[in-house]
Parts: sequence; C-alpha cells; structure tokens
Amino acid sequence: MNFRLSDEQEMLRNGLDKFLATRYDLDRSRAAAKTGQGWQPDVWRAFAEELGILGAALPERVGGIGGGPIEVMVVAEALGRALVVEPYVDTAVVAAGLLLRAGGPAADEVVERIAAGTAIVALAAAEEQSGDRWLDVATTAHADDHGWVLSGQKMMVLGAPIATHLLITARTDNGLSLFLADVTAVEQGLEMHGFRTVDDRRAADLVLADVRLPRTALLGDEGQAWPSLTQARDEGAAAVCAEAVGAMRRVLADTVAYAKQRHQFGQPIGSFQVLQHRMVDMHMELEQSAAAVYLAMLNLGADPATRARAVSAAKATIGRAARFIGQNAVQLHGGMGMTEELAIGHYFKRLTALQYEYGTTDHHVTRYAQLTRR
Amino acid sequence: MDLSWSPTDIAFRDEVRSFLDERLTPELRRAGRLMTSVYSDHEASLQWQRILHERGWAAPAWPVEYGGQDWSLTQHYVFSRESTLAGAPSLSPMGIRMVAHAIVKFGTQAQKDYFLPRILTGEVFFCQGYSEPEAGSDLAALSMSAVDDGDDLVCTGSKIWTTHASEANWMFALVRTSRSAKKQQGITFVLLDMTSPGVQIRPLVMTSGEEIQNQVFFDEVRIPKANVIGAVDDGWTVAKYLLEFERGGGASAPALQVMAEEVTTAATAQPGPDGDRLVDDPAFSRKLAEARIRTDVLEVLEYRVLATLADGGHPGPASSMLKILSTELSQTLTELAMEAAGPRGRAYQPHATRPGGPVAEYEPPPDGYVGGEAWQAVAPLRYLNDRAGSIYAGSNEIQRNILAKAALGL
Repeated sequence: MNFRLSDEQEMLRNGLDKFLATRYDLDRSRAAAKTGQGWQPDVWRAFAEELGILGAALPERVGGIGGGPIEVMVVAEALGRALVVEPYVDTAVVAAGLLLRAGGPAADEVVERIAAGTAIVALAAAEEQSGDRWLDVATTAHADDHGWVLSGQKMMVLGAPIATHLLITARTDNGLSLFLADVTAVEQGLEMHGFRTVDDRRAADLVLADVRLPRTALLGDEGQAWPSLTQARDEGAAAVCAEAVGAMRRVLADTVAYAKQRHQFGQPIGSFQVLQHRMVDMHMELEQSAAAVYLAMLNLGADPATRARAVSAAKATIGRAARFIGQNAVQLHGGMGMTEELAIGHYFKRLTALQYEYGTTDHHVTRYAQLTRR
Repeated sequence: MDLSWSPTDIAFRDEVRSFLDERLTPELRRAGRLMTSVYSDHEASLQWQRILHERGWAAPAWPVEYGGQDWSLTQHYVFSRESTLAGAPSLSPMGIRMVAHAIVKFGTQAQKDYFLPRILTGEVFFCQGYSEPEAGSDLAALSMSAVDDGDDLVCTGSKIWTTHASEANWMFALVRTSRSAKKQQGITFVLLDMTSPGVQIRPLVMTSGEEIQNQVFFDEVRIPKANVIGAVDDGWTVAKYLLEFERGGGASAPALQVMAEEVTTAATAQPGPDGDRLVDDPAFSRKLAEARIRTDVLEVLEYRVLATLADGGHPGPASSMLKILSTELSQTLTELAMEAAGPRGRAYQPHATRPGGPVAEYEPPPDGYVGGEAWQAVAPLRYLNDRAGSIYAGSNEIQRNILAKAALGL
C-alpha cells in the first residue's frame, strides 16, 4: 500500500500550483467568465504548452505523458483549489476518454489536439426529456449516401459555446451511438443557444435539424456506445470529486482564517464552541472526501461493477461534503459569504453545481444500493 | 379547541379571493411567482401596495385608527395565505411590518401623523440601518456616532446589509449617542432622510448577481432630534420590540406550503433518475414528504404563537424558534426545487425571473432565449439568495443562544 506521489507527479502538482498561484487570478477569471469570452484561451494554451497537464493522463502516442487516474487527480484537485472555469474535466478527461476508446484516425487526431491545447471538446448527452439520464436519447442519426444525418435536441452541454468539437449521442437503427462533429465544419442545421452557468462556466442548448456529418463521424461501433459512455461518466465523476476536494480545502482554510480574524462579542468568533464543532465537522467531511477520491481513482481501471461501486461511493461522499462545507462556509462568513466580494461566494456556487454533475448525490447513493443488493 | 374555519372565515376567504381575482393582474402575479428571494421587484411591489391601500388592506395588522383592519387572527392568516397562493408580490417589510410598529408604540403624535399615512401609500419607503461592518450578530456593539449639536444629531459611520437603500427615501437606524459600561445603553433609534447631504450608497453584488443589499456611508449627516423615536440613548428598547416583529409572529407557513406545492408540481413533470416522474423517485419523494410534514407542523406552531399574540401576549423566545424553523425549512425547499430543476438548475438565466434588484455584469441573450421553463431559472437564484435566511435578523446560531437562555434557562 502506498499513497505517495511519484517524483514526476509531485513535479506536475508543484508546477501547476505555482502557475495557478501566480497566473490564475480569481477576479480576472470571473471577469472573463461573465463579460468576456467565457474563458481565458491564453491560460488553456499554457496548460498544454508550459505545464503539459492536458496530456498528463493521455498516452504518449497521441502526444500525452502517459499517466493515468492519479495524474487526473493531481491536476483536477489543483484546478479545483484555484476555481478554474476552463473545461479540463469535460475535455481532457471525459471527451478524451471517449475518443481514445473509440480509436481510429479521426478520433486520435482530436485527442492529439486536446493534448496540444488546440481542441475543446464538449459532450452533448442530456436532453429535455432525459434529465440526467444519458441512456434516454431521442436524437436520431441515419446514414445516407454522403454520411450521417442527425436530428434532435440537447440541453446543458457544458463547454459547447467555446468548443471546437462536439461529441453527440444519437440513436441509429442499431442503438445508441456516438458521433464526432467538428463545429467549424458543420455547414447547416446546428443551432446553439449559449449561456452562463451559475458557477460561471459556459454551456449551451443545441437544436440539430438534419445536421450532416461525414461517414467517419461515427465513433466506435454503431449501437455500442453505452459501455464507453458509462465509463466516461464514471471518469468524469471521479475527476469532479478530485476537483471538489481542491475547492473544499480552500473553502475550509478561508473559513477557519475568517473565524480567527472576525471578532464579535469581544472575541474571535472561532472561540465559540458551536462554530468550532461546525468547522471540525467540515474538516472531517473534507478528510473523508480526500479518501473517497483515492477510492474512486484507484478503481477506475477495475471491472465495470467494481469501478461503478467505488465511483458512486466517492461521488455520494463528495456530494454530501460539498453541500455541508459549502453551506456552512457561507453561514460562518455571515452576509459577506453571500457576496461576490470574497472568494467564498464563488466557491460556494461551484460546490453547489458539482453536486449535480455526472450524477447527483441521490443517483449515486441509489446506484450504490443497486450494486450492493443481494 | 378547533383547527377548522368558521363560515365567517370562509366567507372572508371568498371575499379575499374575489378581490385577488379582480385586482391582481397577470403581470403582478408573474412578478410574484418569479421572485428570486423574499424581495419582489420594487416597482411591482409598490404597485401592489397601492392597489391594496385603495382597499384598506396594505397594513391590516396596524391599529384601525391608523389604517389597519379589525380582523381576527384567522382573517389575518387567511389574507396572507390567499395572497401567497395567488402569487401576489411581497410588500417591503421595512415600513409596514417593522418601523411602523415602533412609530405606533413609541412615536410622537407628529411622527405618527407624518409617517404612517405616507408609509401606507408608499410615498415614504424605508430601509433598515442596523448592522455595521463590525457589528453583525453582536448588534449592540454598533458604533455609528451621533453627536448632539443643538436641534440635530450629527451622524458619521457606516451601515451594511441595507436592503433597497437606493430605492428608499428614509432609513430607520440605530446610532451611538453615548458610551457606557453596558453597550446596549447609549443607542438611539432615529429616522433618517436618505436624501440628506453626506449619505453615500455602495451596492453589494450577491452570489445571485443581484444588487439588493448595500453598504451605506454617513459623513456628518444631520438628523433633526424630532426624528428620534423614543428617548435618546434608549433605542435598544425600541429595537428589541421590533426584533420580535422581524423574527416571527408572522405566518411563514403559507409561503412554505406554496413552495412545497410548486416543488411537487415541478417534480411531477420532471424525469427522475429511473426515467419515471421525479416525484415517484423514493429518495426525492421522501425528502419532499419530510419537508412537507415539517411545514404542516410549523403551521400549527405558528397558529399557537399567533393565538398568544391575539390574546395580547408576547411571542417571546418562540419567535426565535419560528425564525429558525421557517428559514431552515425554506432552505430545504429551495434546495429541493433546485434538484427538481434537473440539469437546468445550473443555468444562469436571471432574465427569465423577476429579481428584487438590478443584476450586475449580465447581458441577456439578444433573442431572449430561455432554456427550459421560468421556474427552472428561478430555482438556483432562490437557492443562493435563501442562504441569507439563516444569517439575517439574528443568525440562527444567535437564535439558538437566545432559546438556550430564555426557553431552557441554560
């Protein structure tokens, strides 16, 4: 048993932490999210070129470093601590995983571009009637003489407004399938309604009206997309858990510092036992979350049932912790915790949103129950 | 002992309903339904207040001689419940429900004559100046100085968490007129003209993006002593009296019932984790049922406190209990609404809602596109704003301290 990072992983973490501390300013990133393009392309470029984090967990044959889940954990946690809005998990974990498993020249080329920082890839899976159930897909695809024709709608596609590529789930005669669309190459039929999310990311609703894609757009075998999608969802959930741990570390540290510095009734509010116990509970939630991330990450390569059980345990734990730590951090900061003036309000919004990403807390508790039922 | 309504009460309910049917316009209902916090859109709120005032219903809880209604306890409850059910915008609590009670109890005849009729019409719109940057939970530590200068008090300092400071033309405030060993002494309750020279307002952007709260700065602002309520240095007595109005003694259960109904309706139309209706999901329906049970019980608890009030009694520490229970329940319900909204609950679309103030740094889509339904856009904003419930009007930690002391003698 060994929980130590390798020298390379330590270097990756230290380099990223240093970069984010000096070059990722909270105010500037919020300004970009709110009134600018929605992200900072120069930061993304630096992620690829200076830090190599986008390819850290990708194979060397596509320009990556050849790491795995532990690299994802290190990177996502650091990004969470700095409240990075750029879509690392969606692009470099979820989309890259789907593309790698599909294989083929078209997919490999996009993964190479992900590692190089020149592609942002968004997964269009949720639909109006499906809610968060990716298996419930009404969007259709059929083949004609020229390629594929897709019709339907997708909602809340994270990262879509800034994406170079979309991964779209659709049903063919043979079942659930996955398609790759180069956004700039789509000539007609794709309508995109972009908006901001509560946690300052970009997302879009899509309407697909006979969108034409080349024959090579089909990823993997027709009708066989579900196992890979389930795995992508688990990988996304695990990465978001690591991101959450980074965010929660910062939130707890800020809360403890505030409780020491804020005086009421002639003493620091941190001297009141009721608040001390609250912060101790937050601390214990955080420690359990950090342990849960290991549980998830170290089982990502296991068989599907083992993987699913570990990921659900982690996401349920992190969902509970993110809720408790987020809500109480705001409470202990009083009114200031509800403003945009301190970091805490921004972190609270992220800790709220991520409870619902890649399966809600309830979803994962229920799935865990199903997997452990006799 | 009886929980049912008499035929007179039912007749009154029908009277209220037909009034609401007739006067509550679709636009006002929209403003009420799409509120993102306890504060409705300022213009809609004032417009509704004027309509209510025409009927004599703007401030039914006031004494009849000042424009109130001689209603029974049940009638007050019925009125509040029906208004909430119909989706009426809320009225600002600061004037009608708060400072007016202090003016009635402690004010001079001249103060009553000037302020009460103008509060009713909305011509005088109050904000509250209690908290200061260094005096939040420890309110009595407030330090905004008011120096005696002939006929005036001259005020310098700052107030924070002032709701609707920019919309208000008057503020009721607690200021420090003298310092003594006991910090509750030497505080004075004043009415302050917000158009006075030396008043500066800085809006605070909340996590919902809304600018409803403010920090207000005072630089040698002159307040005529005629605008002191009660005695100089004895403002704590007035403030304590008002705090009971702020913390409870109202009926929050009807609004919570409406929220619970809305969540139920939403969950009936939304897909659950198994593809069935969300309302059929065991995990979700259990949480919702538990919240509804707490709401049903809170309603009876509130009845009991209202009955004490109706008998001329004081809510006392029970108002702290009601404040804790109702705010925490409201937070639970806003969270369930967020869950019911599904993936849509993460979209930031304030243009589809009617927030209680301007929204900072936000450009609505040029084509006005709204993803999903309006209630799904409301859900996350309400969730964010509702975190204030356990912080304002004395945090719930402070309320528990009060209860430990006053209810349990600890």
